[in-house]
Amino acid sequence: MDNVVERIGELLAKLQSPDFYERENAVKELGTYNKDEAVAGLIIALEDPDLGIREVAAEHLTKIKGATASQLLVRFLEHNDIGTRNLASEILVKIGREAVPALLEHINDDDYDVRKFIVDVLGLIKDEQAIEAVCQKLWDENNNVVCSAAEALGEIGSAEAVPHLIAVSEKVEDARLPAVEALGKIGDPSILPHLYKCLKTDDPMVEYAVLEAIGQIGVTDSIKELMPFLDSPDRSIAETAMMAVINISNRRGGRIDDDLPLDKFTDFLFDGIRNRNEDITDFTLNRLTHWYGNTIIESMLGVIDCVDEDRFRRISDILSDVGYPVGKMVVKKLVTTTSNSLRLKLLDVLKPVVTSDLAADILPFADDQDPEVRQRIAHLLGISGHSGAIQTLRKLVLDSNGHVRSAAYSALGWLCTEDDVDLIMTGLDDKYPDVREAAVGALIVIGGSKVIAKFNADLYHEDAERQRLAVTALGWIGERDVVDPLVRATNHPDAGVRKSAINSLARLGQLPDIEPITMALNDESSAVRKAAVSALVALVGERAVHDIRLLLDDEDVWVRYHTIGAIGALRKPEFTEYLLPCLEDDQDVVKLATAKAMAELGDRRAIPALNKLAQEKNADLVRAAKAALSTIGENK
Amino acid sequence: MEITMREEGSVAVFNLKGRLDLASGSQLKGEVKKLFEKKLTFVHLNLAEVEFINSSGLGSMVSIMKEIRLIKGRLTLSNLASYVQEIFDITQLSHIFEIFQSEEEALASFQSAVSS
Repeated sequence: MDNVVERIGELLAKLQSPDFYERENAVKELGTYNKDEAVAGLIIALEDPDLGIREVAAEHLTKIKGATASQLLVRFLEHNDIGTRNLASEILVKIGREAVPALLEHINDDDYDVRKFIVDVLGLIKDEQAIEAVCQKLWDENNNVVCSAAEALGEIGSAEAVPHLIAVSEKVEDARLPAVEALGKIGDPSILPHLYKCLKTDDPMVEYAVLEAIGQIGVTDSIKELMPFLDSPDRSIAETAMMAVINISNRRGGRIDDDLPLDKFTDFLFDGIRNRNEDITDFTLNRLTHWYGNTIIESMLGVIDCVDEDRFRRISDILSDVGYPVGKMVVKKLVTTTSNSLRLKLLDVLKPVVTSDLAADILPFADDQDPEVRQRIAHLLGISGHSGAIQTLRKLVLDSNGHVRSAAYSALGWLCTEDDVDLIMTGLDDKYPDVREAAVGALIVIGGSKVIAKFNADLYHEDAERQRLAVTALGWIGERDVVDPLVRATNHPDAGVRKSAINSLARLGQLPDIEPITMALNDESSAVRKAAVSALVALVGERAVHDIRLLLDDEDVWVRYHTIGAIGALRKPEFTEYLLPCLEDDQDVVKLATAKAMAELGDRRAIPALNKLAQEKNADLVRAAKAALSTIGENK
Repeated sequence: MEITMREEGSVAVFNLKGRLDLASGSQLKGEVKKLFEKKLTFVHLNLAEVEFINSSGLGSMVSIMKEIRLIKGRLTLSNLASYVQEIFDITQLSHIFEIFQSEEEALASFQSAVSS
């Protein structure tokens, strides 16, 4: 113990050292002792000539949070040096509620600056045990102290201070403004009648504060009190009242029914959106759904570049609901704007409302330097259905940018012109897959004999990918004329093509002759055999079983697995006998599929074999067998 | 194809059942055009029971969309089966049609447009 006292004594002496490091180390070590003498040393260090040392001392004092530290720090509030006073205040705020007793002890100090500092610190600590003392300071002989006390009570935010603040706002003219601001922060609705009374003031500063306070309290009924101020010839007052309405509205989730004179505030509201004021933005977007007019639409178009993606979508939806009149205005703005991002957003807005006549107006943008603009233009031209756009789209499919080419191919497809089939076919050789896909998609939409003939020829193209694209496209085109090429493709040298042909034929349905599919059950490729199983079941239902049951002995385990599943899905108990041998397959996965299929067929003849399966070691098999037995048992 | 139509406020709602091909596509176009004479320009197609759609069927839909745009109307689709959705994606038609998950959502979107 004596050693500690002795060591602290040494450290206190080192605080006077001319050597910075010696003083700094002394402060750091003092911070490790929870002793009044050490705290006193740290307080002394707050006056060190070096800022770094003062900060280290402050940090330790904040951590110690003791009564001694607070007592000593309060004395610093009368320090001659403003920097030291501020530092002491900051530390006291950080110490928090443990500093309150020491602060209250000095709240009636003779020096009004000290009283003011103490009240300020108490406000920042926000501790309710200070309310009574701070309320008394509302009647301090010094006005600065009074104003600080009002502000502090607003910070503390307790309704207990309300009658005191009302009283001071009525009796002390200089304190009216901070008192009203404090009442707004406290936010107690019982204050409102008093605030409405305060609105009759001649002091514009108080008027602003009252309007703001009413907005902060956020009670819908206040809007009728604010209404006359919305008509104020003083723009600042009118806009402050509008801001109060906005705050109330946003607090109520935008649900206010009052008929507001919003047209007077168009610039204020849209400037707010432009300046990214979230409260104004949300309020305005909520009101826009029932507030239109050309000026408003133009204002909306002017801010779409200043809002986040979600809000942009909301504005877009609103404009889309307004409908076609928006289109002309968008195009007008498009022509005058120099901002690239705004141009892109305007083009997005145009999408739901673009028409043939507007398409003509946007054609010049097909030469824009920005590929994103050209891409959107291609897209819009396709949507517009404007036949005059075809020439431009023909140019855009040769664009240097892949996304533009892709959009142009799709658009040509939507315009459904057989004249461009040869041009669109060139897209199938594009180096980018999304361009090739767009070209295929366009050709599918166009369809018709010319496209079918082209894809028919492509089935034997030198490039295997073109062959696969052709068979897929023929399947999706789905006209009668594709049946013959697809049937021929079931004998194609490429297994992938054969499989796609079979899948497509199955999807087409109503096939005049299923023999090509039946033949495919013997295909050398297991993927083709599997496709044939599914196709036959899709085309002829249970009649397919006569042929596909032969594949229950297929050499490929997955063909057997797939065939079992296909037969099970038919849910016809008479097929049980075909599947019974599969419960003894040498592959567990096949036995598992069979157990599941047996559950679908629900035939009791499967019970003995399933009971045997339930004795297997493989837990999955046992589970499947038991599940099947349970299902069949329910089907008595 | 079975085509039934009912009016929901200002929206003509079509329920399509079966295969949408050249013949049924033309039939559908004819039915939609009849609406224009009645000044009905808001059209919704519920495709829940469309089991097949081919190139001609798609062409009919594109043609209907163009006609509706020409008279400044609005066309929505809903309840696309996965097969139909797939062909809409492949042809990128999903980018140009207004497609909703359900008929209710589509009709609600008309509602908000009408009320504004």
